[in-house]
Amino acid sequence: MVSDSTARYGSSVPHQPPSEQRGDPFSPAPAPRGPAAGRQSIHAHPEFRSVSAAYRRFGTWATVLSVGAFLSYVVLSSFAPGVMNQRLAGHLTLGLALALAQFAVIGMTAWLYVRHMRKNVDPVVRRLRAQVEDHEGEQRRLPAGRRLRAW
Amino acid sequence: MTVSASVADAFGLRLTFVLFLSVVVVTLFTALLTAPQRDEIGEFYLGNRDMSPLRNGLAMCGDYLSAATLLGSTGLVALTGYDGLLYLCGTVVAWMMVLLLVAEPLRNSGRFTLGDTLARRLPGRQRPVRLALAVCTLTVCALYLVAQLVGSIALLTQFVGEPGPTTRTMTVIIIGSIVTIYAAIGGMPGATFIQVVKAVMLVAGVTLVAVMVLNRFDWNVDALLSSATAGSGLGDAYLEPGLRYGAGPISKLDFLSLQLAIVLGLAALPHVMMRLLAPRRTRVLRTSVVWAVGLVGFVCLMAAVLGLGATAVVGRETIEGIDHKGDAAVLLLAGELGGEVLTAIVSALAFVTLLAVAAGLTLAAASSLAHDLYGEVVRKGKAKETEELGVARIAALFMGVLGMLFALLAWGTNTATLAFLAFAIAASAILPTIVYSLFWRGFTARGALLSLYGGLLASVLLVLFSPVVSSTPNSIYPDADFAWFPLQNPGIVSIPAGFLLGWLGSLLGPPQEETVYEDFEVRALIGADQR
Repeated sequence: MVSDSTARYGSSVPHQPPSEQRGDPFSPAPAPRGPAAGRQSIHAHPEFRSVSAAYRRFGTWATVLSVGAFLSYVVLSSFAPGVMNQRLAGHLTLGLALALAQFAVIGMTAWLYVRHMRKNVDPVVRRLRAQVEDHEGEQRRLPAGRRLRAW
Repeated sequence: MTVSASVADAFGLRLTFVLFLSVVVVTLFTALLTAPQRDEIGEFYLGNRDMSPLRNGLAMCGDYLSAATLLGSTGLVALTGYDGLLYLCGTVVAWMMVLLLVAEPLRNSGRFTLGDTLARRLPGRQRPVRLALAVCTLTVCALYLVAQLVGSIALLTQFVGEPGPTTRTMTVIIIGSIVTIYAAIGGMPGATFIQVVKAVMLVAGVTLVAVMVLNRFDWNVDALLSSATAGSGLGDAYLEPGLRYGAGPISKLDFLSLQLAIVLGLAALPHVMMRLLAPRRTRVLRTSVVWAVGLVGFVCLMAAVLGLGATAVVGRETIEGIDHKGDAAVLLLAGELGGEVLTAIVSALAFVTLLAVAAGLTLAAASSLAHDLYGEVVRKGKAKETEELGVARIAALFMGVLGMLFALLAWGTNTATLAFLAFAIAASAILPTIVYSLFWRGFTARGALLSLYGGLLASVLLVLFSPVVSSTPNSIYPDADFAWFPLQNPGIVSIPAGFLLGWLGSLLGPPQEETVYEDFEVRALIGADQR
């Protein structure tokens, strides 16, 4: 693992002061000790809060919209067959067209999700992860015992 | 119908057997070769963690699409047109929940099983929670496994007519033993190999037949639709909703209930979830799931073409004459388009499909038994890796034998009923626990226990008191009548019940330590590429 953590603090995380620092500058309380300390200071980090909120907001809305679109399609087909049986072209009815539209919605949502994650979430997560690993690398120099089998 | 109504003759049967056997031999050898050599438990549970996204996606697709999709869904399209197509859509939409909400945080916070994720989230009372989760996992796996094995008998019926007791027993024992060998010896690497082989065969097979169907109609979809309408003998009603689930408000509600269970249940099926934990890097997992969505979507579109094609080419009456559920549709279509050879290929494909899904289920159940139940509940985390590995192999054997016994006892059961119950349990017991532990700060161990046991009990009891078990001629006990719950699918009641119980239990129970959730939240989002 990373042994020279000060070098990485200086290069990859610009807002981190190069001084010897246990927790994060934004953490409200003095950071607790133990292996989870790095993660908890990350938890209070404003960048983590915003990226976590962005991830949840997108995931929830995208799921509600795509699953909701399908379930409302099922309900419409069951309880409003008159609407769904309108002919559009040839044998294609509105209901059949909506069935095809489900596939389009799925493809679209998947594409938007991947794009959202690449653009808005992944870069921040990578930066925060480097910070956690730096912190844990620092901790590992202390006798950490059997950290990997802690649970 | 009599024996003469079956879809293949002696030559076709022999060809099917040879094809099936060659796939089995090749995959069995590979399972032995790729079996975990070192006694590493991680390799047995997760397999090769550095596979490419395409191969992961193929394996996920293979785990998910069972013979029920290949034969059952296409049959449903062939017999009921619009309602069948609606059902196929649900099969694909189910992946959205996995992709958008569950996959990445679950992998980031997990290790070998879902129980590990819960133990990290609820460390105070991890043993009772693991126990409850193991109970639910085993129930889901056992139901789905029995459905697959019973399905093998149903498939055999297509060839030789109603099989005698000896043939029946032999089929279940042979298929069950092969499945057990894959899971017990090959572990995840062996299971992955057969999933990938099966998924490639499935995609190639349905594409081939769909191309032949479309070619017959000069690539004119409207001509296919009009021929299907004509072949159904039902006129325009064939392409309108209500043929299958339109008998009345109860039946419509039943369909909604079924769709709800399918769309939400997938994200909580143990054998699919186990695949989500395998990739080492989050990025690879995401691309894998996108591949899986694409592949499943493609297969379902092709299945729609097959179902419509079967009605257009063979005719609805013939299909229904051989099997009233329509399971013979694709086989009849293949026979009409490509003669005995194509029928043999498709039927071998159906057997391999069934085998692969059963292997995945056995493995998921064995992981849960060995890791959650034995390793953490019985031995309290003190078991050595070699010891746990041995238990995992024995557990796979145990699951295989249990599945065979149940399948022989319940060979007449409708496979769809068993599979739908498994989906309902997954959606109402396991899913609330996953969603709450990933996204709700206030979730506690008591909430987890209540939603796991409560969701399980609610779904099982509702089915017990539904027309599935009593009061109609198709029930298990047609003469008795204790069906006070009118729907065949409990999802619409049991899923909200599971979520409600989880919420109530968390309000009542002692609160969690704040720092635990904070640590978990960071891990679920940021994770770490695992070494």
